[in-house]
Amino acid sequence: MKASFRFAVTASLLLGASVAAIGSGSAATRGGIMTYGRYADSLFLDPVLNDANVDIWVLSNLYDTLLLPTDDGKGVQPGLATAWTVAPDGKSVTLTLREGTKFSDGSPITAEDVKWSLERAHDPKNGIWNFLLEALDSVEIKDPKTVVLALKHTDPAILPALSTFNASIMPKKAFEASAGATDADKAKTFGEHPIGSGPFMFQSWSRGSEMKLVKNPYYWRDGDDGKKLPYLDGVTFEVIPDDATRILKVQSGELDGAEFIPFSRVEELKANPAFNMVLFPSTRVFYGNLNVRPKLTDGTANPLANEKLRMALNYAADKDALIAIVTHGVGTPMSSFMSTATPMHVGEGTEFPLDVEKAKALMKESGLSGVTFSCLVLAGNVDQVSTATALQQMWSEIGVTLKIEQVDNATITSRYRAGDFSMRLSVWTDDIADPNEATSYFAYYPTIQSQHSGWKNDEVDALYEKSQSELDPKVRAGQFARIQELYKTGPIVPLFETPYPVVLKKSVKGFVQIPLGNNIFVATSLEK
Amino acid sequence: MLNPGFVIRRILQIIPTLLFILVVTFVIVRLLPGDPLSAIAGDRVTDADVARAKAQYGLDRPLVLQFVAFVERVLHGDLGRSFVIQVPVSSLIADRLPVTLLLTGMAALFAILMAVPLAFVAAMRRNRPADAIIRGAFQVGLSMPVFYIGLVLLTVFSATLRWFPVGGYGNDWADHLYHLFLPALTLAVSLAAVLMRNLRAAIVDVLGAEYVDFARAKGLRPRLIMLRHVLRNALISTVALLGPTIGVLLGGAVITETVFAIPGVGRLMIDSIYGRDYPVIQGLTLALAVVVSLIFLLTDLLQAALDPRVAQ
Repeated sequence: MKASFRFAVTASLLLGASVAAIGSGSAATRGGIMTYGRYADSLFLDPVLNDANVDIWVLSNLYDTLLLPTDDGKGVQPGLATAWTVAPDGKSVTLTLREGTKFSDGSPITAEDVKWSLERAHDPKNGIWNFLLEALDSVEIKDPKTVVLALKHTDPAILPALSTFNASIMPKKAFEASAGATDADKAKTFGEHPIGSGPFMFQSWSRGSEMKLVKNPYYWRDGDDGKKLPYLDGVTFEVIPDDATRILKVQSGELDGAEFIPFSRVEELKANPAFNMVLFPSTRVFYGNLNVRPKLTDGTANPLANEKLRMALNYAADKDALIAIVTHGVGTPMSSFMSTATPMHVGEGTEFPLDVEKAKALMKESGLSGVTFSCLVLAGNVDQVSTATALQQMWSEIGVTLKIEQVDNATITSRYRAGDFSMRLSVWTDDIADPNEATSYFAYYPTIQSQHSGWKNDEVDALYEKSQSELDPKVRAGQFARIQELYKTGPIVPLFETPYPVVLKKSVKGFVQIPLGNNIFVATSLEK
Repeated sequence: MLNPGFVIRRILQIIPTLLFILVVTFVIVRLLPGDPLSAIAGDRVTDADVARAKAQYGLDRPLVLQFVAFVERVLHGDLGRSFVIQVPVSSLIADRLPVTLLLTGMAALFAILMAVPLAFVAAMRRNRPADAIIRGAFQVGLSMPVFYIGLVLLTVFSATLRWFPVGGYGNDWADHLYHLFLPALTLAVSLAAVLMRNLRAAIVDVLGAEYVDFARAKGLRPRLIMLRHVLRNALISTVALLGPTIGVLLGGAVITETVFAIPGVGRLMIDSIYGRDYPVIQGLTLALAVVVSLIFLLTDLLQAALDPRVAQ
C-alpha cells in the first residue's frame, strides 16, 4: 500500500511534468507576468528570522541555497554548489561553489557570503530555525570556490538542511550596510528590500495587498531552451484572504492561479475545462493532540493518561467518514504520525482502522466510564469545527462525551503550551526533507514535551538522539521505524493527510508546490 | 453662527476619551491569552524562544513599566514597531487608514444619496404602495449579512458581467474609486437602511408640526417649505445618527475589506489581534479613536449649526 501510494505520487508528478512538456511543445514560452492569489501576505522576508509558512513558502523564489530540494521534496540537487562530499567519518562536508554566480544586484557570490550566511543561520540567538544547522561547528573557506563545513557531530540531515530556507545565501556586504545597530535591526531594513540570488528579485511590496517579483537577470540555471531561467518576466502575489473571492478572481481571469482552494470547491473546479485543479502531494497532516499527563492543570485526574482510552478513541474514529465530510474525499488516512511524503515514513492504510467493537472492549479494559473531556477548536475554522463535531458523535458510541471549545489561535497556542488542555485539533507540515523535524516535535520529549502532550518514552528519546548522528541510512530507517511503532501508544489521534489544492489556468505550465510547501516558479511559463 | 465656547469645550472633551481608550486597549490586549511569538510560529517555538522574544520586546517587564514606556513613546509621536512584520506602526497606519477612510467615506456618501431621496418619497407617499416597497426593500437590505451582499455583488457585477474588478485596491486615484465602488455599495446598504428609516420618520413628524402648517398658511411654495423647514429640521436627528453609525460602518469595513481583498485597517486590525501584535493593536485603536472622535465632533458641530439650541 505504501509502495503503491508512493508510486502513485511519483507517477502523478512524472505525468504532470510530461503533460507540461507536451503542452509547451519543445520549449516553454518566455515572458509574461504570472499573478498568483495567496490567502495571506508574507510577514518578514528574512530567511533566518522569519517564523511562518507565509514567508517560508515563497522565500526560495528570492533566495538561493547551496543545495536545492528535488520536486518530490525528498532529495537534494545542485544549487549554488555544484558538488558536495560528506567526509567518511561524517564530521565535515566539502562543497564546491558554482562558478560565476551573482546576487540580483550584480555583485558576485563569494565564499565569504556563504560562510557568513550559514554561520548566521546557525546562531541560536537568531530565530527558531537554528536547530536545522545545529550540528554546524564552523565554516572554513578552503579556496574561493570551496567551503568546508566542520560538524560538531555527524548529522545525517545536513544535506537536506542546506536546502532549507534558513540556509539561504545572502549578500554579507549589502546586509551589513543596511541601517540598524544590531543584526535584528539590519534584518528589518534589509527585509524591506531584500537581495538574494533566487530566480526572481524583489520589486515592490504593498503590504496586505500585493508583492511584485521580477526576473533576476543574473540567475544561473538554464531552461529547456538553453537560455537562462526563469521563463517568466515576473510573479505578482495578490493577497486575497476570502476563499470565495480568490476563486472568483481566477474565474474572472484576474489571477493565473490561487492557493488553498477549499476542499469543497475542488470537484467543481476540476470539472471546469478552463482550469487545471492540481492536488500537490504534501506533508500536511491533521490530527488530534492529546494531553496525557496524569493530572490536568486544575488538579483533576486526566482520563487521557489512560493508554487504553486513547486506543479506544483511535479505533472509534472513522477516518474515512472524516475524509468524506471534511475534505470532500480529497484526503487520505494517516498511517503514521508522519506524512507518507516524509522520508522513512512507515505504515500502511489507516493506522487505526475503524473498529467500534474493539474500541468498546478497550473502554471496558480501561476501567473508565462516563468519560468527558474537551477539545480546543479554532473558532470559525470549518475544517476543525466539522472534524470535532463528527468525532463528538463517533465517540459518543463508546460512552465518551466530547465538549467543543471554540477559541482563537493565540489562545489555543498559549493553553496547550501551558499544558492547560485535554485535546486540540492541529495541522502539521514538515520544513525539511527528513523525519527528524516531525519526530523532534511529536515524539521527542525534550524539544516541546512531545507536542506539549507530556508524553515521554525513554526508548523513543534514546532512538531519536542516536538517529541524529547515525550515518547508515538503513540503520537510521530502522530507528525511525521503531519510533513510529512505539508512537502508536502516543498522544495523538492520527486523522488524515491532505494535498495542497492549487487552481491554475490551463495556460500555466511548470508550477510546482513541493511537499514541504515551497512555491516553485523557476520553470513556470504562461502558454498561449 | 457657532458658539466658540461650545467648539472649544467639545474639542477638550476628546482628550480624556483618548486617554481612557489608551489605558483600556493597553490592558485588554495583555489580558488576552497568548503571546505574539506563539501566535505566529505555533507548534514550533520552544519555551526558550518565547522567553528570548519576550525579553527582546520588553514584554518581560512589569505591566506598569511597559505602560509608562508606551505612553512616553506615544507622546513623542512614536507608536512603536510591529512585532510580527517588523514595520513601524505609524507607517502601517499611514498606508492603511486612508484606504479605509476612502471606503467608509464613499459608503457614507452612497448611503446618503440613497437614503435622502427615498426617505422623501416614502414620507410623502406615506402608507401608500411606494412607501411600502421602499421600506420593504430596505428591510431586506438591513437584514442581509454584509459578506453575503458583497459576494452577491461580486458574483453578478464582477465575475459575470465583468463591469468591476474582483476586489483589490488599484494603483491610482481613479483606479481606487473604481475598485472601491462595489465594496462601498456593499457597506452603504445597511447604513442607508438605518438613515432612511430615521429620516422618513423625522420628515413625517415635521410634516405634522405646527410651523409647517403655518408656513403653508402663509402661502409659501411647497418646494420652499420642504427645503427650508422640513428638510432642515428632519436632518437634525439624522445627522446626530451619523456619528454613532460610523462605528458600525468601520465594523462592517472589516468584513468588506476581507471579502474584497482591500488593504485597509479593518483587515490589519483582525490580523494583528490574531497575531497578538500589541503595538499595532494599540496604535490602530488610538488612530481609530481619533478618527471617530473627530467625526463625532463634526456631527455635533453640524448639528449645532443646524439647530443652535444644541450648543446652549
